[in-house]
Amino acid sequence: MTIAGPPAASAPAPAAPPDPAPAPGPVAVPVPGSVVGSPSLRRVTRVRTVPGWIRLLAAVATATVLLVSGAVALSIGHARDGLRAIGHTAGPQVVATADLYFALSDMDAQVAGLLLTGRDAGFQAGRQGMLDRYEQRRAQADRAVLQAADLAGGDATGQTTVRALLDGLGRYERLAARALLLDEQAGHDAGPPPAEVLKEYREATDLMRLQLLPQAYNLTLDSATIVRHSSLAELDSVRTGRLWVGLTGLIALAALVALQVFLSRGFRRTLNLPLLVATAVVGALTLAGIVVLQHEGNALTSAKEDGFNSVLALSRARAIGNTLHGDEIRYLLDPQRADTYEQVYLDKSQAVLYVPGGNLDKYYTALDSAVAAYPGKVTFLGFYGTEASGGSLPGQEAAVARVLRLYQAFQRNDRQIRQTATSGARRDAVGKVMGPAFGDYDEALVKLTGLHRKAFDDAVADGDRALGGWDWLPPAAALLAIVLVLVGVRPRLAEYR
Amino acid sequence: MLTLIRTRGPLGRAGRPRRAAAVALAVAAAVPLAASCAAGTSVLDKDALVVGVKKDQPGLGMLVSGRFEGFDVDVANYVAAKLGKRANFVPVTSGEREKALIDGRVDLIFATYSITPERKTKVGFGGPYYVAHQDTLVRTGQARIDNVRDLRGRKLCQVTGSNSWKRVKEERKVPVALVPSESYSECVKDLRSGKVDAVSTDDLILAGFATPGTAIVNAPFSDEKYGVGIRSGDIDGCEAVNKALTEMYQDGTAKKLLQKWFAKSGLALTFSVPQFEGCG
Repeated sequence: MTIAGPPAASAPAPAAPPDPAPAPGPVAVPVPGSVVGSPSLRRVTRVRTVPGWIRLLAAVATATVLLVSGAVALSIGHARDGLRAIGHTAGPQVVATADLYFALSDMDAQVAGLLLTGRDAGFQAGRQGMLDRYEQRRAQADRAVLQAADLAGGDATGQTTVRALLDGLGRYERLAARALLLDEQAGHDAGPPPAEVLKEYREATDLMRLQLLPQAYNLTLDSATIVRHSSLAELDSVRTGRLWVGLTGLIALAALVALQVFLSRGFRRTLNLPLLVATAVVGALTLAGIVVLQHEGNALTSAKEDGFNSVLALSRARAIGNTLHGDEIRYLLDPQRADTYEQVYLDKSQAVLYVPGGNLDKYYTALDSAVAAYPGKVTFLGFYGTEASGGSLPGQEAAVARVLRLYQAFQRNDRQIRQTATSGARRDAVGKVMGPAFGDYDEALVKLTGLHRKAFDDAVADGDRALGGWDWLPPAAALLAIVLVLVGVRPRLAEYR
Repeated sequence: MLTLIRTRGPLGRAGRPRRAAAVALAVAAAVPLAASCAAGTSVLDKDALVVGVKKDQPGLGMLVSGRFEGFDVDVANYVAAKLGKRANFVPVTSGEREKALIDGRVDLIFATYSITPERKTKVGFGGPYYVAHQDTLVRTGQARIDNVRDLRGRKLCQVTGSNSWKRVKEERKVPVALVPSESYSECVKDLRSGKVDAVSTDDLILAGFATPGTAIVNAPFSDEKYGVGIRSGDIDGCEAVNKALTEMYQDGTAKKLLQKWFAKSGLALTFSVPQFEGCG
């Protein structure tokens, strides 16, 4: 600070020490290179220079204040868009399309259940319930297809899939209605229906399982891709925006401080108060902007990772789990295809919760030891493997443990169904398959999903709350700071008029 | 001295904020670029793709006079074209598929690569591009075999190193007499000569071997999801592969290719898009 360069040495040093009273007029501020020359020339330079500098610095300060405010507003806008997409529009729509698979699969399960129980007096109580549920799922599927069409937007591939699904759904309903009508006319006891009924149903279920369910599932995956891309892009923008806010904030502060220093030194005044307040306002805006963007980044990540991803994964697990129950029913319904349905059942069980086991007997046994080891150790993969080893929401472990216990109970019931059926007591097997084991398990899974749904909603609400007031805050702060700069600078400029 | 510095202050430093601003702007502009470069490699970033295929699987991946051909090869070419890349094929054996992907020797694998939960812990999977089913190949004209249960008491070919026979004898618990053999092509010869009564494995593999005098029973009893092996974590690449596969089914190419390679075997083929595994 004490090094004086050559221009300073030749500067027309004003009175030092400085006057205790403020200088009556502007103090000479030399420009390097302008030191040599006549006094009149020096005077011209001086007069042109000082207000010129004030104006330049004030303009730079104003421009950078606008930049900070713009950067904050832009980044907040990205955060808002990201939250809206994942929390309020696309995110919930994706979850709704995940329900499409579930609804479709449950429609087919209800049809299978109706065909299996037939006109058997022992199962008439549940008949109306199954019919109602079929209607309810059909309505749910229709709604979900609409959501999917909306999400697919201008994507031609997605639109084609949605159209194919709608066509297929119509065809399925016709086939299912015909199978149900024939079944009603046959009036059989609980167990496999007559061959002509089975023929119709096979056509229906093949359409459902081989064509519609895969399409619905892929549609959910596609939609999730759209959400992933948009939320990643917004998150990226928020993070980059935070850097920009920091950088522009620093530049604005530097300009304001430079102006302050220039004024206080040049005019031998103590601090310029309006300018000081402007500096504080810009500093506060920058800091608050960085903090709120950090917060929004976290809210977006948390909504995506802890909420959306888990809700979607568990919705898929629920949908696949539902087809497990359908495959159980179909195993009893269609003895000719029992082997296929049993194998498909095993494959799906392993998608939901994977433990090694080439056949169902081995799977049951391995499942028992895997469930016994939880929560001490997670020895399984699949949807529940991911759910059990990731995330730490309050109450999650207990909810997972409950789901696992009831899944185990459902699989034990399955074992009994198959043993009973093989031993010839088919009617007892039908009683077991229509029993509460699946419903109980499904309910526990819905509860676990609810936990993640809440985390998702909380993160979104938290993000929304933190954004309150940020519509007007950046422009208002910028306006205030600029007015303050002008107020601070104006009297100094006036001295030159 | 103090005064000198003071008077010099605003001017001596005047240039610096501008320079600092320029530097800061340059840094800020460079930051997003740096971030996107560091995001790991994806097959989407490459100009040409190294694709691992089988070289000895008729109808699927077969090296014939220096060129690879088969359903897997055609599907790989279609997907690579949709991704805007050229595909260069290299042979992979079943045992080296994971390692080849992890080591980065190949970018994608189309080699009758079944998606399993264990494999998913090591590599990623696009697709499946087809769900094959275990089925049974029999001699035409022999006593009726409608499904796997009808194999009771029959002679089943047991290929060394393959698990397919287990699915019949151990998983389905069908009492069959096993006749060991070196390969599926040997099995098919034995089937025609009457040394065995049935060959049981993935239907697409059977279709590739099917010759006059043999027939596929069309009683599938397992799902083998043929996936596209991809480096674990390349979610963008995996999603692009899935989109290409969806389009392959939508524009009729899948049907055309399946019929081209397997129709003459009499196999019941599925022409609708399989249920994908999901990428992440």
